[in-house]
Amino acid sequence: MSDYVKYGSMKEGDNFLDPAPAFDVTEDVVDKYMASTNDNTPALKELNSDGKRIAPPMLAAVYVIDALRTRVGPPGGIHAKQQFKFHRPAVIGETLFTSAVVLKMYERKGRNYVEMTTETKNQQGELITSGMITRIWGKES
Amino acid sequence: MSNVESLQQYKGLSVGDNLPELIQAVDQNMIDAYADASGDINPLHIDPEFAKTTFFGRTIAHGLLTLAFVSRVLSQWNWNGWAYGGELNVAFLGPVYPGDTVRVSGEIESIEHRDDGVYACCQLVCHCAEKAVVKGYAICKI
Repeated sequence: MSDYVKYGSMKEGDNFLDPAPAFDVTEDVVDKYMASTNDNTPALKELNSDGKRIAPPMLAAVYVIDALRTRVGPPGGIHAKQQFKFHRPAVIGETLFTSAVVLKMYERKGRNYVEMTTETKNQQGELITSGMITRIWGKES
Repeated sequence: MSNVESLQQYKGLSVGDNLPELIQAVDQNMIDAYADASGDINPLHIDPEFAKTTFFGRTIAHGLLTLAFVSRVLSQWNWNGWAYGGELNVAFLGPVYPGDTVRVSGEIESIEHRDDGVYACCQLVCHCAEKAVVKGYAICKI
């Protein structure tokens, strides 16, 4: 039995992540992300008005993909399109929960595509990021 | 019903203005560091032997690493508008390979006065040499 999600096992309207996985925004996660992307944005070195350090908006790429990775497709899949709306930056100490719904599935040029909407909220249910991701599903052996 | 009024200029910004350009070299060390930081260890990005068996023939950078460079440009240009309510919509047109240099450029395509404020829509493109690898737009309050 394969240890990845098969394309044929999904259908439009499915909650892809149920329950929504948790992701802790830690100093270590933010520091490693900033170092790996060469991000030296001055605002990310300061504390916000609540005295908390904020994370780069594009950390969404980490916590959304981390959530989606709890149900992975076959190796070799790639990103085709990405939409994000950053309602506000996550802050260190928050726990984020990302849900995803399969919006559309289609085939183009012999490749299988999956579009999903995602929504990330913190532990209080406050919306942090919403988005849509289009992935080309990896080839199944 | 919402009202939208198109503007040519607002607060010193004009349609046609360029965003700050960013040039970033990408190598396998950077891709490996991003894989470690993001937890995205898809072998297409970090395993040369696996990558040889794919359409690309060698490892490629994570698409979302390239978007991190886009985010750096928008953060530098308009931090508050980007981090608090910014929107990004892009398509990945081609791979970034280790050894490539990514050039991110952008231009204000339109300025709109909406009910809740003034927004700029910026066209964005990432090039490796002459080839566009990411294209799309961002919308930020200004």
